[in-house]
Amino acid sequence: MAKEPVRVLVTGAAGQIGYALVPMIARGVMLGPDQPVILHMLDIPPAAEALNGVKMELVDAAFPLLKGVVATTDVVEACTGVNIAVMVGGFPRKEGMERKDVMTKNVSIYKSQASALEKHAAANCKVVVVANPANTNALILKEYAPSIPEKNITCLTRLDHNRALGQISERLNVQVCDVKNVIIWGNHSSTQYPDVTHATVKTPAGEKPAPELVADDAWLKGEFISTVQQRGAAIIKARKLSSALSAASSACDHIRDWVLGTPEGTWVSMGVYSDGSYNVPAGLIYSFPVTCCNGQWTIVQGIGSANNWILIAMWANFFACYEQSLTSRPFHVPGLSIDEFSRKKLDLTAEELSEEKALAYSCLS
Amino acid sequence: KYVSPGTGLQYCCCSTSICFKVIASQQFTSTYSTGHIGYALVPMIARGAMLGPDQPVIINMLDIEPAAEALKGVKMELTDAAFPLLRGVVATTNVIEACKNVDIAVMLGGFPRKEGTERKDVISKNVLIYKAQASALEQHAAPNCKVLVVANPANTNALILKEFAPSIPEENITCLTRLDHNRALGQISEMLGVQVNDVKNVIIWGNHSSSQFPDVNHATVDTGNGLKHVRELVANDHWLSTEFITTMQQRGAAIIKARKQSSALSAASSACDHIRDWVIGTPKGTWVSMGVYSDGSYGIQPGLIYSFPLTCEKGEWSIVQGLKIDEFSRAKMDATAKELIEEKSLAYSCLN
Repeated sequence: MAKEPVRVLVTGAAGQIGYALVPMIARGVMLGPDQPVILHMLDIPPAAEALNGVKMELVDAAFPLLKGVVATTDVVEACTGVNIAVMVGGFPRKEGMERKDVMTKNVSIYKSQASALEKHAAANCKVVVVANPANTNALILKEYAPSIPEKNITCLTRLDHNRALGQISERLNVQVCDVKNVIIWGNHSSTQYPDVTHATVKTPAGEKPAPELVADDAWLKGEFISTVQQRGAAIIKARKLSSALSAASSACDHIRDWVLGTPEGTWVSMGVYSDGSYNVPAGLIYSFPVTCCNGQWTIVQGIGSANNWILIAMWANFFACYEQSLTSRPFHVPGLSIDEFSRKKLDLTAEELSEEKALAYSCLS
Repeated sequence: KYVSPGTGLQYCCCSTSICFKVIASQQFTSTYSTGHIGYALVPMIARGAMLGPDQPVIINMLDIEPAAEALKGVKMELTDAAFPLLRGVVATTNVIEACKNVDIAVMLGGFPRKEGTERKDVISKNVLIYKAQASALEQHAAPNCKVLVVANPANTNALILKEFAPSIPEENITCLTRLDHNRALGQISEMLGVQVNDVKNVIIWGNHSSSQFPDVNHATVDTGNGLKHVRELVANDHWLSTEFITTMQQRGAAIIKARKQSSALSAASSACDHIRDWVIGTPKGTWVSMGVYSDGSYGIQPGLIYSFPLTCEKGEWSIVQGLKIDEFSRAKMDATAKELIEEKSLAYSCLN
């Protein structure tokens, strides 16, 4: 018996990321090979014809899983009944623009879209914000859609997470699918902290800590971090266009793991509404390590430097998932210490997010 | 080596590569650049859309020197996406390096037609490209390499490639008409208000050009109450023999008009479908359209790359035989064959 189709909204769908993303969704990359989908694509009126062209191509590709396409410039029509919303649309930063200007334009966009989503999306709609400044756009969206559960509003740092996995796999000359459990902390910006402290690599001799195998702390604390932080700019320099393929693919990973669950023993990075874990100020959209189960994410607690604590953390998350499925109450294990180097990095990116939050609110006043 | 738990078949990761050629020449503006198809195609391949969700792949990407930096950017993004199935990426401007050991070759690169270009000029530029690449593929690809030519004029480019790579089995050289096939399914599904995966067995005959003949005489729709003939359900023969055909013929232009760029997403997706059905096999009772080396079936002159209805099994295609061809269809099939014969002589005259 075929499943009921899930409605997926992509805003900014006529753009580059949208064009890479929609065929991935239509092929089942986002929700699995057995999950039919209906695509809702939204863009602004100047892009209406291009958007229609994308709709035509989706019809032309004869995707078996694609049960319908809505291509519209009307935000209400776009949001109606959607179960998943991928917010790619936003005002891009142009050369010469001040950060304040980018912020001003985007907070108005996200304020109005929040309203439409809240009123017209399906209950329990899951949202991922991709457009930059992703964390702050997501925060604004949360503030202006108070009836959307706060845990349903996230931003994309899975691209940075995947980039970090890629960098480690290249450094160690291993397959990327054998590397896991990097963490992206904080803001999807150049203050993000890609943390390899607890990452592991599958070797013929079993799982080994990545820092041990890399055996180069200076690289891990220096060049590795800046490579991941600046990767977006490196792509723009090479392609003359920003990342679309990898951003779209990572957006699919983000949603898929959220909805279908993370594999055992593996966590991923997502920008989520902070609850004060790891002494990060509550009330920010901050990227944390999370596991996912039953359509819900849980921050990985108790990350320390010893492997047995990680085991405990994993069990704690298992219980958290089990407990949540029974009671829908979060189950916290008290956090363990983060080393000094990491602490500074975590705080720096939190500080930037607090500043962005203040800036965003001042734009709205 | 990777052993598939389901079938027990062994897939040798190292030798499973896809040579995929992108010409994204800076000279010919990104508007019509085949770089767009390549950019849409590689994540599909890396996710298993072409060979299945359990088949690891290595992707070889070829482009011309002016596009080397952009190609490097694509390689970086493939690394950044951390695809579990992707076991390697080769990004190169060296055709030999690109062709080495490839099992599948998707030829996207060619000289695009610009406004004001004569057909003869397009053909003459492309035959030189395909002659050179034939040579490299023949010498360096894995034995039994399967080739799909996408770049237009697709059928004639494929024919040239075949002529200059005589040791590649002729049945291994094909061109893409799956995009037209899928477009026909889409048009019928929209006309009837049914799901596209309930429509099957349209046929694209002939050339991937405006002389193509989209034939629904044998197409069916799964109505839930059994299979019904499309012609019966549409109940509008006039539409089927006029507007439907012209919509199909002009679809490429319609996409360009709307997007200001040619089809990339749908072309890439159809290329995946073409290869996947060829390698893994067509579902029972379903056929697909592929441009293949004609053997005289249906009265079509042998020695052309002509699109036929096919089934695929164990990595080989067979032309669906015995279909009744009415007078209207006969004329259309012959017209597109005539165009291919003309293109063939034009191509050969360019080479002398």
